[in-house]
Amino acid sequence: MSRSRARSSASFESCSPPARVTNTAARTILHADLDAFYASVEVLDDPSLRGRPVIVGGRPDERGVVSAASYEARRYGVHSAMPLRTAARLCPDGAFVTGHPDRYRDVSTAVMRIFASFTPLVEPISLDEAFLDVTASRAAFGDGGTIALELKRRVRDETGLVVSVGVASNKLCAKIASDLRKPDALVVVAPGQEAAFLAPLPVGRLWGVGPQVRQALIDYGVSTIGQLASVSGAALRRRFGAHGLELGQRARGVDPSPVTPTQAPKSIGHEHTFSRDVVERSRLEATLLDIAESVASRLRAHGLAAGAIQLKLRYEGFETITRQMPLPRQTRESEPIYEAGVALLERTRSTAPVRLIGLTAIGLAELQQLTLFDEQPRSERVARSLDAVRARFGESAITRARLLADRPQRRFDFGERPTADAGRPPNDEAR
Amino acid sequence: MNVSVMQENLARGLQIVSRAVSSRATLPVLANVLLKTENAGLKLTATNLEIGINCWVPGKVAEEGEITVPAKLITDLVASLPNQRIDLQLSVKDRTLKLVCAGSRSSIKGIDADEFPVVAAISDAPATSVEARALREALGEVVFAAASDESRPILTGVLTKLSRETMTLAAADNYRIAVRSVKLNTAVAAELTIVVPARSYAELMRILPDADDPIEITVTPNKSQVLFHVEGIDLVSRLIEGQFPNYEPVIPTAHTSRAVLDREAFLAGTRRASIFARDSANIVKIEVGADGSDGNPVSITAHAADIGDNADSLEATVEGSATTIAFNARYLIDALSNLGSDEAALELSGPLAPGVIRGVGKDDYVHVIMPVRTAS
Repeated sequence: MSRSRARSSASFESCSPPARVTNTAARTILHADLDAFYASVEVLDDPSLRGRPVIVGGRPDERGVVSAASYEARRYGVHSAMPLRTAARLCPDGAFVTGHPDRYRDVSTAVMRIFASFTPLVEPISLDEAFLDVTASRAAFGDGGTIALELKRRVRDETGLVVSVGVASNKLCAKIASDLRKPDALVVVAPGQEAAFLAPLPVGRLWGVGPQVRQALIDYGVSTIGQLASVSGAALRRRFGAHGLELGQRARGVDPSPVTPTQAPKSIGHEHTFSRDVVERSRLEATLLDIAESVASRLRAHGLAAGAIQLKLRYEGFETITRQMPLPRQTRESEPIYEAGVALLERTRSTAPVRLIGLTAIGLAELQQLTLFDEQPRSERVARSLDAVRARFGESAITRARLLADRPQRRFDFGERPTADAGRPPNDEAR
Repeated sequence: MNVSVMQENLARGLQIVSRAVSSRATLPVLANVLLKTENAGLKLTATNLEIGINCWVPGKVAEEGEITVPAKLITDLVASLPNQRIDLQLSVKDRTLKLVCAGSRSSIKGIDADEFPVVAAISDAPATSVEARALREALGEVVFAAASDESRPILTGVLTKLSRETMTLAAADNYRIAVRSVKLNTAVAAELTIVVPARSYAELMRILPDADDPIEITVTPNKSQVLFHVEGIDLVSRLIEGQFPNYEPVIPTAHTSRAVLDREAFLAGTRRASIFARDSANIVKIEVGADGSDGNPVSITAHAADIGDNADSLEATVEGSATTIAFNARYLIDALSNLGSDEAALELSGPLAPGVIRGVGKDDYVHVIMPVRTAS
């Protein structure tokens, strides 16, 4: 393991000409990205999976999608967001496991805590990825490469997970660097070498270059970032507007965006895919209640309140609609979120079979209007107690009586799991 | 019916009663105004079943009678006539009202008066009376605080308590409450508590003269309706059933800091901050006691990510400890723009305790606004 790490760790300093001036004012940014995070956690918890192609998301005959695949599984062409059945065809001997979202969240919290011991400026991007601004930490911990090595060692020693790290003077280059030699990578881009580092890479690696822009650039004769960097700003502006100027900057390795700690989410949502399309209103409403509780719980965890609620419905045949409404007042409680969900469902006036249902809290704000007469403080105390019980004893430790009869399985962002009606005779399975 | 009235008087009467005409009438007759000869004049009546208004127009009656005609039509017509005598004559046979004024002749098709709902004629003796001007001022400081959404119907009303020689008005929408007391002209025989729809009080405010005429207040024995009577006008309103929340415990009796500010300056500063607060849930922050940039002891700030920010510092007399609190700007603007005194006192007890606004030198009014809990 340490051998492979040594091989995949690389420094870009080696192939750069001697830097004319060491820019001491430059920032030092780390991008840390856990390798095959969900699959790695599953291997940690079940060592018999080690070395096998691990596919997280559900059983191979289920309707959902792959939420993560180990590097072993990726060799078979399995990747996340691929239907489970396709993954089963590509990798019939794969170890298919149902995910454990609560466990991932716990592990992620532990990893983020390690990150935070190097600098207060940690910007989590997702459960397994974060930017760290260690500029001010260099005096205490050494230069960026030293900090990255120490960070990799501590994550491995304390959690058993492997993290790839990119070190650069800005977020753009750090992110591209960490991604360059995964897994177990350590890539350092020396200050002043950003443009040289990016030059040979394909333009598609840059932020803001999606398939359309990429195609337009290729039509323009630009396929590497270096070629893009040599295009004049005026030409880029003509073709892509203000966005073109930004692209030119990025291609030259310039990215002034700051590391913003604890980025507040813009929305918080949960959704559930049914194993069989559902028509019964009572079942949809019970699912909405369950989803509303998840959304409210996460709002409380983030210290946010929702200003509006969005309902998402996917019907058979993948037609998807969203409907939204403002809440009469900001909330972080399940009841008003549920009521808004039911009202939105009512508003669709549709009785078509539903394949997926979800609620998203939007218009989030870190504040809450206090009230004079409502029993809000009491109900919020109840909700917080429930959160505490669930955090300690698990998600199913305590629930509403209404949800017991017909409790849909909690869904994170993977595909399908068995639900209460799995015993019913299959009807339109062929669909 | 055959009656003559002056255009000016009829136009004024129609304008008053048409406030009670339903804009979306469920019954066609509710879009009409009832004209009836009474007491040697013409009584105009309109109702939307929540409120009813009677208005007496002086005139000369040659023949008694009654008819209802479309309120908008007759109001617009009469408003357009010259200020001269109008002769109204009803042709009972074809239910048509003829109006003749100067050289103008009109006829309006009506609906039988029998179809018009009875607007309660309350015959009980008034419980008490209050000066029109005082009541109007008091309503102005209270009515806006009532809830506009129907999720808790009781909060769309204004608690009205008559006790001895005092009328207490309280309105709340769960985030704020306004309480005002007014002196009655005569003591009530028995304490009486009713909840009057805020909309009814809003109409009453429009009708009340800016004078010290007495307004008689009568409540039906079954407490289903209230009648306000001022010279020549009746306003009858249904009452809201139910228990108004016990508000007295939520009104702070003490504070840890107090700032006295010029009301206009405080309002202007809040309005400026609210422009920036539009994109951040309308939140403005108030700091009391920490010296601002200009050495002024009160500052109002608003901050909207990606938009910008604004800070106003205000002269004030501050007592007590320094504190910061966040409010929804709208509630603050409502309270300050309706406060009937030149100086406003802001009393606080920390960032999560209710904020209190009073008029300086006025002990008959208190306004409480619940703060917004912010992250920092």
